[in-house]
Amino acid sequence: MATCTYTVPDKSASGDNFYGAVICNQAYVDYFWNTYGFSGNKVYLDDGWGWDDCCNTSKPLARAFNGCYALTYSAQDYQNDSYNSAILNWGRRYVRENIDDLRCFCGDGTAIARSKGSGLIEVYLGFFYTKDVPGRAETLIHESRHQGGKPHDAKFPAGSTFGAGKSGADSTWDYEGAWMYGALYLWWYYAAGARTTSALRERARQRGNLVIDNAFATHPGYSI
Amino acid sequence: MSAKSSDTPFLGAPDTLATRVVEHQFSFSGSQDGRLNALIVEAVNRMGGVGEDAEDNYRLALEELGERAEEAVDVIAAEYDALPEEQYLDRWSLVQLLSELRQPKAAAALNRIITSRIPAEKARGSHDASTAAEEVIIRTTAVEGVVRLSADGVDEARKILLRHARNRTFSIRRASVQGLLETGDDADKRELRALLKEKGDQGLLRIKRMDVRQVPQATGGRFVVNPDVKREAPPPDLGREEG
Repeated sequence: MATCTYTVPDKSASGDNFYGAVICNQAYVDYFWNTYGFSGNKVYLDDGWGWDDCCNTSKPLARAFNGCYALTYSAQDYQNDSYNSAILNWGRRYVRENIDDLRCFCGDGTAIARSKGSGLIEVYLGFFYTKDVPGRAETLIHESRHQGGKPHDAKFPAGSTFGAGKSGADSTWDYEGAWMYGALYLWWYYAAGARTTSALRERARQRGNLVIDNAFATHPGYSI
Repeated sequence: MSAKSSDTPFLGAPDTLATRVVEHQFSFSGSQDGRLNALIVEAVNRMGGVGEDAEDNYRLALEELGERAEEAVDVIAAEYDALPEEQYLDRWSLVQLLSELRQPKAAAALNRIITSRIPAEKARGSHDASTAAEEVIIRTTAVEGVVRLSADGVDEARKILLRHARNRTFSIRRASVQGLLETGDDADKRELRALLKEKGDQGLLRIKRMDVRQVPQATGGRFVVNPDVKREAPPPDLGREEG
């Protein structure tokens, strides 16, 4: 067991203040809880993680719900989650079909999240507090892609901010790995994200470009 | 049916978290103007809006701040310098604000941010957490601010973009090159191409900004889920109730 602490700003650009007023509805709480892997994992969301305070966006559970709201409703036509549509639409479906258990831990600061196999995803403090709301949706999609059977298959390229020569990159865009899924989701969020602001869409663009520039052994040749 | 049990009491010892809430991360130690400081906090806060009126509310906050944009640039730049290094999202939000205000005098501050040294990676050993990546996102957002000024005809902005076409960080170079190609005049573009040729960095010219609809899309998944657990989402605008 680890004990961790975090100082949370009540006002920031993360998106949590405003999402907080939205997700505090039993219909959403029930839906997110049962759909995105929280069910059966209450114990990992107790003891300060927000299980008994799920509308409080200074706590991790509400911040995870905010990411789930962005994941679920950022397509204008969110009800269409067909795999023939854009990943902005079906990202939510992909996550719900690949994550069975979502568990929270303090972590050691070296990871945002980890895919542990068999539908289990672990998320750490950085997921809740360094990631903005659409960034949390991106993380869930990234880790879901690992659950879907695509490990990273290459080393980061020369000059990569993720550490040149380290393993953990995807070889190409066409490999359709976790980095491609995350970047493509952010790209769509930038281009067509609904119920958000141009600032958060711009942040998605900047994060997406960073991934495209640094997380593929061979640069795809395009940017957002 | 899912093989997973319900919320069975746990025999182990999970992690414990304690949170402390502060109003915001800004100190405004260099600005005694409470009204201006409040406008800045409000604009940053509205960046994270959600709902059908999120963009309108953000634009309104920017409009009100824009009436004092020239003064705001100095306060925002000073606040950026005062924030602790690890407050990446807060630092980014101030750079985004500088970019939004489109004030020519912001060019110097944005250039200083782009030029500043990127601290050593603090999350070594991780493949997804990267403090260097957060730093680069802050700087490429500053480049975007300079691109907007260049589009507005600010000469200094074009010079900054040309200068950072030789930045040591790939993403900053890429953003600067694309920005100058989009907003520079013919002479700027000639100078840029000559510079990239001299540096052997002409590959940057082949990276194109694209519409997402034009790039290869992801295939999607093929997982079968338990319909008892995974039902359809409620509508997005139910409003606030007790949860």
